[in-house]
Amino acid sequence: MAHPQILFGAVMLLVIVFVEWLFWMLPLWSRPGIFFAVTVVPEFRSSSEAARILRNYRIQTLLSVAIAFALVVIGALSLKFAFLILGIVWLMVGPLFSIARAHKNAMRHAIATPTIREASLTPRSAQLPGGWLLQLCPFAIMLITAVYIAVHWQQIPDRFPVHWGVDGKPNGWSDRSVLGAYGPLIVGFAVSIGLSIIVVSFSYLARHIPTTGDLPSKGDFTHRIAIFLLGIEFFLAAMFSLAALLPFTGNPGLAPIVVLVIGLGGSAIFLRGWISRGASRSVPADGTPDNCWKLGLFYFNPDDSALFVEKRIGIGYTVNFARASAWICLALILFLPIFLLFLILQQH
Amino acid sequence: MVNPRTLRIDLASPRPVYEQIVSGLRAMLVAREFARGEQLPTVRQLAIDLGVHHNTVAESYRVLAEEGWLDLRRGRGAVVLDRREPKPSSKAKQRFARNLEELTAKAVAEGVPRSAVAEHMAALATKLSRT
Repeated sequence: MAHPQILFGAVMLLVIVFVEWLFWMLPLWSRPGIFFAVTVVPEFRSSSEAARILRNYRIQTLLSVAIAFALVVIGALSLKFAFLILGIVWLMVGPLFSIARAHKNAMRHAIATPTIREASLTPRSAQLPGGWLLQLCPFAIMLITAVYIAVHWQQIPDRFPVHWGVDGKPNGWSDRSVLGAYGPLIVGFAVSIGLSIIVVSFSYLARHIPTTGDLPSKGDFTHRIAIFLLGIEFFLAAMFSLAALLPFTGNPGLAPIVVLVIGLGGSAIFLRGWISRGASRSVPADGTPDNCWKLGLFYFNPDDSALFVEKRIGIGYTVNFARASAWICLALILFLPIFLLFLILQQH
Repeated sequence: MVNPRTLRIDLASPRPVYEQIVSGLRAMLVAREFARGEQLPTVRQLAIDLGVHHNTVAESYRVLAEEGWLDLRRGRGAVVLDRREPKPSSKAKQRFARNLEELTAKAVAEGVPRSAVAEHMAALATKLSRT
């Protein structure tokens, strides 16, 4: 590659612009009557005070993202791993402080949370997007890859590159062992199992909020989230399968960048399509008291049986941190893949 | 148009939540909103949708099961029973009359027009006679 640093910088810039765009738009995706996780009168969002809170939030997130970008660039240029990690962590954590601050300011304009709760008495059955067959497809992709590796085991070199530096030269190797060859697929399986558990749990354990005050929303919103997660599962299955095939294909070249651009672009289009939906949904009450939203981000309510509740900032669902099963979910999604990745890296 | 199968509770009400669930469900059962053998939502589903603890809903179902409205056999969820109305005791009749009188007086005292109270009672009587 002629200019690997420029290429790396361009990719990082793309990621950072995407993250900034996410944080920039996040407050607009909340339902009317919710502003930075606080229950307000619907008209408040168009008031000058709301504009001031939003402006301050956006300035702060821009600063956070700029700091993160600077750290990443310093890390890449000086080849200091710690700066890179710090930059990426700050990219995720920095804007959260801005959200917490905006939430605190918005709390001054909070109105009483509606105390009326409604529930349909018609039992519902979980509807998985595409049924069980489609749910199993990401696993099938990885299984086929595993079979391919097993069949062509002898073609795997004793030692093969698995990581490349910004200069395009390999800087990480693995050997022909079970962990070395199947490592990416093991991590992919672990992540996909975690995501599948969440998709299935959504259908049973997410609150179905009445959107008109008298009828349940038929799980439409949960269904869309489940489709989105399934899409991520397919994406990850493809990525981990491609990674597992590296001993056969060699340097992936521009493939990861192309996949990243498609992934980010697809997510942006998908999320953008939800802006109008989020703004137009009429939800009288989501059943979550304001004071249970810690820092505007984390829902903690021991009196609520729901494991998943609709987010108040952005779109989608979050867990009720007061429930033990929420921590098990997080462990499945975050710590298990990280632990497996650590085990594989140890082998390398 | 309110779905007749929608249960509504008010967390600000001085009445305990489990009592509100019992009353709401009982009213629907008396009005024959559910057929015999029909399944109600699971304790977990109802608790999640109402945003309350599942023990609260479990207690409500238990009260209704003791009254003979529901069958709570493990693995079957809450199934509506064909409850035979018991022969009322004179004590129960007196209690009902007293409660109704008190409730009516309270409504009038709170400003509900007497004609509206009478209208509601007539509608309720018609509904009862149909079931």
